[in-house]
Amino acid sequence: MATATTVRPSAAPRPQQKAHRLGSPLRRSQRIAGYLFVLPTFALFLGFVLWPILRTTYLSLTRWGGFGSPRFIGLDNYSRMLGDPVARRAMIVTLALTAVTTVLLTFLGLLTAVLVNVVWKHVGVLVRTILFIPGIVSFVVSGVLWKLIYDPNIGTLNQVLGAIGLDSLQHPWLADSRTVLPAIIVVTVWGGLGFTMLIFFAGLQGIDPSLYEAAAVDGANTVQQFWNITVPSLRVVTGLVISLGLLNGFKAFDIIYVMTGGGPNHGSEVLGTYLYSLAFGSTSGSIPQLGYASAFSVVTMILCTIAVIAQLWLTRRADR
Amino acid sequence: MSAPAVEHTKPFRFPLGKSFAAFVLAPFCVLMAFPFVWMLLTSLREPSTIFGGPVIPDKLTFAGYSTAWTKIEFPLHFWNSVWITSVTVIGVLVFATLSGYAFAKLDFPFRNTLFVLLLTTLMMPSTALIIPLYLQLKTLGLLDTQTGLLILYISGSAPFAMFLMRAFFQTLPDELIEAARVDGGSELVIFWRVILPLTRPGIATVVIFQFLQTWNEFLIANTVLRDTDALPLQPVLFTLMGQYSTNWPALTAGLTLSVVPVVLVYVRMQRQFVAGMMLGAVKN
Repeated sequence: MATATTVRPSAAPRPQQKAHRLGSPLRRSQRIAGYLFVLPTFALFLGFVLWPILRTTYLSLTRWGGFGSPRFIGLDNYSRMLGDPVARRAMIVTLALTAVTTVLLTFLGLLTAVLVNVVWKHVGVLVRTILFIPGIVSFVVSGVLWKLIYDPNIGTLNQVLGAIGLDSLQHPWLADSRTVLPAIIVVTVWGGLGFTMLIFFAGLQGIDPSLYEAAAVDGANTVQQFWNITVPSLRVVTGLVISLGLLNGFKAFDIIYVMTGGGPNHGSEVLGTYLYSLAFGSTSGSIPQLGYASAFSVVTMILCTIAVIAQLWLTRRADR
Repeated sequence: MSAPAVEHTKPFRFPLGKSFAAFVLAPFCVLMAFPFVWMLLTSLREPSTIFGGPVIPDKLTFAGYSTAWTKIEFPLHFWNSVWITSVTVIGVLVFATLSGYAFAKLDFPFRNTLFVLLLTTLMMPSTALIIPLYLQLKTLGLLDTQTGLLILYISGSAPFAMFLMRAFFQTLPDELIEAARVDGGSELVIFWRVILPLTRPGIATVVIFQFLQTWNEFLIANTVLRDTDALPLQPVLFTLMGQYSTNWPALTAGLTLSVVPVVLVYVRMQRQFVAGMMLGAVKN
């Protein structure tokens, strides 16, 4: 009763105030200040984001080696992409890497979050920190570290396999185009798990405990509770994890560039590493192919846009 | 009265129990932490003992650290990283607080259009924009300068930080600003004297996010800087991998030294980081 009476008066003035604010003439000083406050960020945005996006889109329709002026060739770069085996390979690797890491991260993230939610509080904090540290070091550090661990001759992974009598499994992990992708996926999941776990963990913390109480009263067992309460309640959070996984997969670059540079034999080539080597990899005196490389920029941007649209779609509130 | 209240706040528990959860989590933690433990141990080895030998070296040496420190001019690149990161964090804060506040609390025409325009840039990865950004710096004559790098860092990060700051400003009551306006404060004075002091948690979040992101950035720095004296740590560590491919203690010592500030800042500001991550991730 007490709460009901206090809510009403405080709720009443709000619409009034809003109506008053909208009804009054827009204050000039506020308008000027608004534009002035936004101007610096907007100027940087125009010069270093919007213009680059437009420019790379235009360049993708040209042939250009960086000197002279770009020659307009329409959609030739895109049709060339379809016939380029390396480009096709990069596309397949990008999609495969994205799909596998997204599935693994979603599954392992949910699993660890549920477990961390169960253990003792202090253990939970410790586990969260340990799982999270790989995510805050740079891709260069994790790439170099794992490259050393995977080293075919003196790398720790092979040493460990030898020590436990599994010599037959010893392998030049990053030098074999069949094992290079799984090896990179391990590193990607290692780096991203803490982040995913934490998002799921926050989602679990947000579930109303009384839902479980009610279900228990109705005689639902733990498995039923998990499928009928936990999973539906985590719908938005899971959508977020999946779309972030897609976004990170589509723009994969640093780890692969550091560990393999896209090799061996394009076995770990993704859109990012291929476009980089087309544009900046002209070490042997070959002309940079900025037009063709830009077409890969555009494809990457389109994929990332799809990931964001997927996010909007997957994270729609249940009440829609 | 109190008994049911306690029961209501009792969190959901798996009947499998705490011990089972800990039992499953333990190997996860070992695998996750292993590379770092290994990095530390390797950095303390004699270069000659990396071929086999016991997992925990018999004799620890700081030779790797002194090699990393002197041969790769670690202090120079460390300070480059500190300088570039500091300027970026401050720059991003200036841009993001101003525009975030305007988008949250000031009424002006086309506010939403401008906001959505800025927001769309959040999803554009630097991988996709690296070619035009490189060309842009070339046109401006800023290629191979830290100034050019700073401009790209600030312009690339300001929209996301703006988005975070806007969310924080939205939590402040309108009445506060209205009252300050009635008292005759100009918009800039209100922003500086009234609003900013209330925004410290938001600022802390942007600081830690931006610190981690800038300190760890590799792609842009590696592309637009060729002058070795101007390079921050990450590209240097990358080239180190090629040059010191046999001197693992020196290489891992360099990695360890570069990670120390990151871990310190993370541990110190963990709470703000998690809060900001949730805000950014969930509202994004």
